[in-house]
Amino acid sequence: MRGLLISDFNIENLSSYLKKEPNAPAIDSVITCYGEVFQTLLDDAAPCWSERPDFVVAWTRPESVLEAFRKLLDCCSVNEKDLNAQVDTFSAALRQASKRTRALFVPTWVIPPFHQTHGLLDLSPTCGVARALMQINRRLLETLEGVPAVYPLWTEKWIQLAGPTAFNQRLWYLGKIRFSNDVFKTAARDLKAGLRGLGGQAKKVIILDLDDVLWGGTVGETGWQGITLGGHDPSGEAFVDFQRDLKALSRRGILLAIVSKNEETVAIEAIAKHPEMVLKMDDFAGWRINWQDKAANIIDLMAELKLGVESAVFIDDSPVERARVREALPQLFVPEWPSDKRLYTEALLSLDCFDRPSLTDDDRQRVRMYAVDRARKESQPQLNNLEEWLATLKTTVTVEELNQSNLPRVAQLLNKTNQMNLSTRRMSEADLHMWASEKDRRTWAFRVSDKFGDSGLIGILSLELDGSQARIIDFVLSCRVIGRKIEEAMLFVAIDCARTVGIQEVNATYCRTPKNKPCYAFFQRSGMTCRDGNTFVWDAAQMYPLHSAIRLVCEDDRTFEKSPVGVNPFTVNHASPSNNC
Amino acid sequence: MKPTKKELIDIIYECLGEVNEQLPNDRQIQKSPDASLVGRAGGLDSLGFVNFIALVEEKCAHKYGIAVSLMDASLHEDGAPEDVGRFADSLFQHLMKTLPVQL
Repeated sequence: MRGLLISDFNIENLSSYLKKEPNAPAIDSVITCYGEVFQTLLDDAAPCWSERPDFVVAWTRPESVLEAFRKLLDCCSVNEKDLNAQVDTFSAALRQASKRTRALFVPTWVIPPFHQTHGLLDLSPTCGVARALMQINRRLLETLEGVPAVYPLWTEKWIQLAGPTAFNQRLWYLGKIRFSNDVFKTAARDLKAGLRGLGGQAKKVIILDLDDVLWGGTVGETGWQGITLGGHDPSGEAFVDFQRDLKALSRRGILLAIVSKNEETVAIEAIAKHPEMVLKMDDFAGWRINWQDKAANIIDLMAELKLGVESAVFIDDSPVERARVREALPQLFVPEWPSDKRLYTEALLSLDCFDRPSLTDDDRQRVRMYAVDRARKESQPQLNNLEEWLATLKTTVTVEELNQSNLPRVAQLLNKTNQMNLSTRRMSEADLHMWASEKDRRTWAFRVSDKFGDSGLIGILSLELDGSQARIIDFVLSCRVIGRKIEEAMLFVAIDCARTVGIQEVNATYCRTPKNKPCYAFFQRSGMTCRDGNTFVWDAAQMYPLHSAIRLVCEDDRTFEKSPVGVNPFTVNHASPSNNC
Repeated sequence: MKPTKKELIDIIYECLGEVNEQLPNDRQIQKSPDASLVGRAGGLDSLGFVNFIALVEEKCAHKYGIAVSLMDASLHEDGAPEDVGRFADSLFQHLMKTLPVQL
C-alpha cells in the first residue's frame, strides 16, 4: 500500500514505523517536503499525486497552518472570526486533496503543554490558547464532517499514551521532529488499524470464555450464587465493567459469542439469573458451552455464524487454552490476556482490531439480527419442505439506489463480504461514490425483512451498461441471508433494469477468490448460461423469474410478488449451463 | 553521580535498540563496540543519527541529572565518532567535562 505523508514538521519517523510495524497492511510512504502543506494539498499537478496514493496523512501544527493561532501563542489578541476563517481555508484544501485518494487521515491539532501555562487565561475567550485549540479542532471536525474519504484522528490519545515526553524539544531543535517516537509508534498502529478497517478487515466477533473471564470463579463448582460478579469487591466490579465494555462493543456491531468448557444449563442459568450480569443470552450471537475441544468449538461456532475464523478474537484467561487454540487456528487472533482481572477492561479497549470507518444502524442492530436468525433457523426443522418454509417467512426485499444515506453501509458490506461476492472489489466510500456516479452505471442496495424481523441492508448489485450488453460488476449478499431466494431477486432486478433500457444480454464474470465459491455455485444454478467457465449470460429477451416467496418493493413503489410475466419460476425453461462449467 | 564507561555503553545499546525499531532488518546496528554508527562502513543515516543523539541526551540527562548537548563541537573535534566504542569514549569524556553543570 502506498501512503503520502504531508506535514509541516519532519515526519520521516512515522514513515519508518509504518514500514516496520509488523501488522498488515505493508506500507511504503512518500514524504513531501515539510512546510509545503498548502501547496501540496491544492496542487493537483504536484508530482506526489502522479501516482494516486492509497492513503494520505495530513498532519500539521496549528501555529504553522493558522496564522491567527500563531498570534495567539505570541499573546496577541485574535478575532474568533479570523481564526475560524483560517480553519475553513485549511479544511477546503483538505477537501480538495481528499478527491485524490481513498483515505485522507487528518490528525487533530495539539500543542505542547508549555504553551498552556497561562493559568486562568488558558480558557479566556480573547487570548486563551487552550480554548482556541478546542475551538479550531471543533471547527475542523465540523467542516470535514460527511466529506467522503476524510478521517480525522484523535492525536491527543497518542500524546497521552506517550506520556510527558510526547513533545520532544531535543528532536525538534535537532531535526524538526515534532514528537517523540512513542507518539509516532502509536500513530502508525492506529493508522494501520484504520486502513484495515477501511479494507473490511476489522474483527467482527469476540469469542469469550466464561469462568474467570465474564465472572470470577468456577460456576460449575459454586453455582451462580457463588461466582464473583459486582458487589463491593474489586474483582467483582472489574468483571461488571468488563461486561459493560463488551456490551458497548456489541452496540458498535461487534458480535459476542461464548466458547466455554462448562455445563451449558449451569452456565446459561448463571447468565440468566445473576442480578449483576450485564450481558444476557440475547447479547450473544452464538455459543458452544460443552466439554469439547475449544478450537473445534470455535470452528463450529464460526460456521454457524457464517463468518471466517480469521474475523474473530478469542479471549480466554487460561494460557494453556490460548496456546492450544493459537496452535490449532493460527488465523484466529488470540491476544495475550492479563492475569489481573482488574486489567481486563484496559486490555479489551486497547485492542486495535475493531476499527471501522463508520457506524451504521445495521451495525447497532447486528446482535439482534443474529437473534432473529437463530429464531428463524429454529423454526426451519418443523417444516420438511424448503419451499413451504420459504413461503412462511413472508420475505420482503426492498431495492433502493445508492445514495448518500446508504453509502456508508454499502461500502462496508462491499469491503467485508467474501462468500457471495462476484468480483470481491474493495473500495472506499469515496471511490464507490465516484465509480457509481459515472453514466451507464447503476448501483442498488437491497434490504430484507421477514416475519421474524428486519435483516437490514444485506445486498449490493451494480451494473455497467455497454451498448447492447449489461455487465453485473458487483453481486454481493450477506451470508446471513444466502439461500432464501434473495439472490434470484437481485438477478431479477438486474435483468429488469437491462430490459427497460433495451439491453439484449446481461452477463456476470466470476472472479475466483479463496472464499467466494458459494457465489460461483449460485451462478451455476441460476439458470444463466455459462460461457467460458467463469462468465454467465442471460438473454434479456426473457424476464428473469422472481420466486413466489419473495415480495419485491422498488423505490418507485412498484411491487412484485411473483414473476410479472406470469411464468412459474420453477418450471421456466432456463438456458442450460454449458459443459465446461 | 559519575558515569562509568560500562553504564554509558548500556545506555548506548538501549538507544540503539530503540533506533533499530525504525530500521529495516538488513540495516540494524549491532550492539557491539566495533559496530559502525556512521560513515562509509554503514550505520545510521542523518535522521537516524539525530534520533540516536536525542535519545542518548535524554537518557543521560535522566540518569545523571546533567544537561547534555552532544551536537556540541567538543564531541566532534575529529568528526562524529564512527563506531559505538569510540562514541562511548567521546561521550564519557564529554560527560566528565559537563558534569559540574547541574540541570
